[in-house]
Amino acid sequence: MNLDARRNVILSFIFLVVGIYLVRLFYMQVIDDTWTLRANEIAEKRKEIFPPRGVIFDRGGKKIVTNQTYYNLMMVEDSIVDLDTAAFAKLIGWTRQEVRNRFKEIVDGEGSYYNKITGKRTPNYQTIRAYPFLKELTLEEMSKIAPHLANFKGFYEEATSARNYPYKSAANILGYLSEVYREEIEIDHFYKPGNNIGRAGIERFYEKELRGIKGIKYIVTSALNNAIESYADGKYDTTARQADPLKMGMDVVLQTYGERLMSKKKGCIVAIEPSSGEILSMVSAPSYDPNLLVGKRNISANYPKLARDPNLPLFPRPLQAEYPPGSIFKLVQSLIGLQEGVITANSGFPCDKSMVGCHNHPSARNIAEAIKFSCNPYYYQAVRRIIQQGVKRNNFADAEYGLNKWYKYIRSFGLGKELDADVSGQRPGLIPNSDFYDKWYGHHTWAFSTIRSISIGQGEVKLTPLQMANIVAIIANKGWYYTPHFVKSIGYRGPLPQFRKKHWTMIDRRHFDPVIEGMRLVVNEDGGTGKQARMDNIIVCGKTGTVQNPHGEDHSVFFAFAPMKNPKIAIAVFVENAGWGGSWAAPIAQLMIEKYLKRKVTDKDKEKRMIEAQIAFKNVD
Amino acid sequence: MRKEESLTEHLDWPLFGALITMLILGLATVYSVAYNEEAPSLFNFSEKYGRQLFWILFSLFLGLLVFLIDSDIYRKFAIPIYLSTLVLLVVVLFMPAVHGAHAWLGVGSFGVQPAEFAKISTSLLLAKYISGLTVKQQTTGTVLTASSILLIPMVLILLQPDAGTFVVFTSFLFVMYREGLTFDPILLNFVNAIPGVRYKETWVGSHFIPILFALVFLSIITLLLDSVIFHVNLFGWDLELSGSSGVIFGLVLIYTLSWLLMQRFSTRRERSRMMIVLTLGLLIASTLSFIVDKGFDMLKTHQKDRIELFLGLREDPNGDDYNRNRAMAAVGSGGFLGKGYREASVSSVRSNHVPESETDFIFCPFAEEWGFVGVVVLFGLYFFVLFRIIIIAERQRAAFNRIYAYCVAMILFYHFAINIGMNIGFAPVIGIPLPFFSYGGSSMMSFSVMLFILLKLDAQRKDVLR
Repeated sequence: MNLDARRNVILSFIFLVVGIYLVRLFYMQVIDDTWTLRANEIAEKRKEIFPPRGVIFDRGGKKIVTNQTYYNLMMVEDSIVDLDTAAFAKLIGWTRQEVRNRFKEIVDGEGSYYNKITGKRTPNYQTIRAYPFLKELTLEEMSKIAPHLANFKGFYEEATSARNYPYKSAANILGYLSEVYREEIEIDHFYKPGNNIGRAGIERFYEKELRGIKGIKYIVTSALNNAIESYADGKYDTTARQADPLKMGMDVVLQTYGERLMSKKKGCIVAIEPSSGEILSMVSAPSYDPNLLVGKRNISANYPKLARDPNLPLFPRPLQAEYPPGSIFKLVQSLIGLQEGVITANSGFPCDKSMVGCHNHPSARNIAEAIKFSCNPYYYQAVRRIIQQGVKRNNFADAEYGLNKWYKYIRSFGLGKELDADVSGQRPGLIPNSDFYDKWYGHHTWAFSTIRSISIGQGEVKLTPLQMANIVAIIANKGWYYTPHFVKSIGYRGPLPQFRKKHWTMIDRRHFDPVIEGMRLVVNEDGGTGKQARMDNIIVCGKTGTVQNPHGEDHSVFFAFAPMKNPKIAIAVFVENAGWGGSWAAPIAQLMIEKYLKRKVTDKDKEKRMIEAQIAFKNVD
Repeated sequence: MRKEESLTEHLDWPLFGALITMLILGLATVYSVAYNEEAPSLFNFSEKYGRQLFWILFSLFLGLLVFLIDSDIYRKFAIPIYLSTLVLLVVVLFMPAVHGAHAWLGVGSFGVQPAEFAKISTSLLLAKYISGLTVKQQTTGTVLTASSILLIPMVLILLQPDAGTFVVFTSFLFVMYREGLTFDPILLNFVNAIPGVRYKETWVGSHFIPILFALVFLSIITLLLDSVIFHVNLFGWDLELSGSSGVIFGLVLIYTLSWLLMQRFSTRRERSRMMIVLTLGLLIASTLSFIVDKGFDMLKTHQKDRIELFLGLREDPNGDDYNRNRAMAAVGSGGFLGKGYREASVSSVRSNHVPESETDFIFCPFAEEWGFVGVVVLFGLYFFVLFRIIIIAERQRAAFNRIYAYCVAMILFYHFAINIGMNIGFAPVIGIPLPFFSYGGSSMMSFSVMLFILLKLDAQRKDVLR
């Protein structure tokens, strides 16, 4: 065996490895630019330029969300030369101790990062890196400091932009921005620590549409980290691009007016344009000025106050308050009864108060009258025919069959589930089916008599105000709806695809006429419950509701659409603890409709009375 | 009895010169990477470069001591040296853990790692044992004895745990291969158990070690490049190659190259035989790389995870992939000529982007500062040293000296290959130092002493009569 030849095997091994490594290194260092770009990113020689967020217009083309320039006072420790702490503290209006504390805070706060692996904050402060010493200074604040910065080496100003809401309204719709969380940065590398992200409302739902495209600039720096020139003549640079504006279906004038009407009250208003599903206004009362939550300083000062407020201004009532719908449900029951053929437009039922309480009125001779009088016994009898159709011999099985049929109808109205709207944080409401009652009572142990309170929209049934406004829009359209949504166009691209799809209910168009006639009687005929909503020249169709509230005074509710022919607005108004539906909700709905259709209000006394009323609202100092 | 000679007579000046060059380059790199404005003096012993200078001087002093002692003692005392190292390796297991490993003996920053010295003592004992064997003694028993000389310290080192040094110990298998001590006897036991088969040797058994390593090397590279996508521009034709097809592409390239070389240098008689070996090799290697690539995709998720963790392909509890990515960025950003001395923007200790940039990742600042040109110089130096040691090995009269020299060569080669491989994404991140460059006392002393013993053995090679 010639062992000496094995020397060559070993030598060729060495030769091979050295050769392969050299080829690889030549590729990495000379040919491939990827690693150089990555190194620039690591060494922070890669600047990311964030464009200002997209602006938002209302349906009339008014700019309702804009950007305003703010300034950060940046500092780089290595560049600081003999800092005169006393003079610097005086310049920014702090004490010397506060300045010293802020330096420490930067090292421990901004200068450290959360280590996923150990789960601890790990120091990573670098003296050559720029950190914001003061954040979000206004132009006035900065203009006092800026002229003197030449005396303080290592400090410089940097412009950033923040949101501005000139109309000071629609806070619950627009939402707000706040700093990204660590988890969000890990999921989406678009963000860097300290960036803002949409936290609620439109700002959150349309985050990707609003944030734009960030630019990247590679720079060559000197040893002192000063930018000298752009890298490779800007070959790899990209420009930042602001996102296209969003156009909302909201009418900011109507929205602001609604917030004024609802001031010092609790409740909500939802107004929808039936023909498009665009939300014209969505008031959640009490509301607040969205400018209160712009920037870190404002958020930390104002957010806790809003969160502690006993009137719950941060609670998005139109989306999350789940009320038993009350009388509006009678409209839906009428439609289902007609479609199922168990009643006709001319069916009459006696007002038998032994079944359920009712107010004093003559017995309804047809559906329109039943709606006009809002007769409870009428609907007990009508809905019994829907639930107990006599198809099955067993009474319980028959109720199960009937309820599930009813359930399918109800679901086609977009109830019992979250609407696919462009807003997060909706509640689904509750529409019971046989599974629900089986779980509650047991299989085949319940029948109509057990569940009869759903006939008049009480009991287990719960809807959100948004869903109820959508019911009104469906009735105005005679049987179909577009999913309610805020944004009518992203740039010039139109709304999201899900808002271009017409949803049909299971009710035929012809069955709507007697119901709409009933709603006309409610407002326009003496003896109707909603005459407070009556208007000259325009026929308003409405329905009052009084939602029983076990915790106190009933909620005042009113639903309406107008005009009767070719409806332009469908509206639902809730005033908490205000009592009977006709008393407060109806006049507010009337004022809103008038404001929207005629742009001015004639009855100034009524307007003043509504604005000034304080109902169940706790004063906060 | 030998006559009195000056210490430097018969010293192998080229190797010694290369060593000194490396030490100076290494010190310069440590100075650059750990530079502190407030203590710029090289002799400031509170700084890393000051301490590194101290270790270098101390190592040279140890080298002087080695030269004062007759080289015969290494062969004579190989067993006691080996045993005392084993004792240290056991003792160190009871020491408090530093960075999760029981590897350090001593106090504070002036501790030593017995594992570093175990390399020397194992080399010595292996050289002694194998040199005592004749060709006829290549039996299962001798193979197992030689293997256990490696295995005992390897197991103790794995207990620390120190995966890097553990892997380095497999370099001794190449030395055994060079000396004809292969696993063939063991393989023959199995092969000849088949009725009617009577082999004296098998090709696979004799060349078991290089074959195994070639396959392992190939598999690891295939896996590491699995996620990488190459863009190759061939005559304006943009090709998108996955990493594993890149490996096969590379194999074909090597095949073509060797074929061309063969046409030029080999005789016609050899040619046909070598063609068969080459073609077979290409086929086997390509198939293996293909199987590894596809086979890996078919593994279950947790098995994949484990392998990817070991290779550092994903972020693991030690964040090795993160380190590697940054290290590669530093190396890759060096460009052709580098950023200039003390201009390493990514890998300087001060910027803190590449962890351990003065020890295990010292290649980063070097490659970043000196670029591809510097890399060629460094590779040239290492190649020269390895080549020179093998020349020295082959000129020894005593088998002990030759085997020891091969041990040194292979250990240095391993450190070089794995350490640089870590920096360029070709090897898993198992912290082992780059000899003569990385900051650290133990590795500096052990590598120097290892090399000085070789130089001393070589200087005295003519004294040996056998």
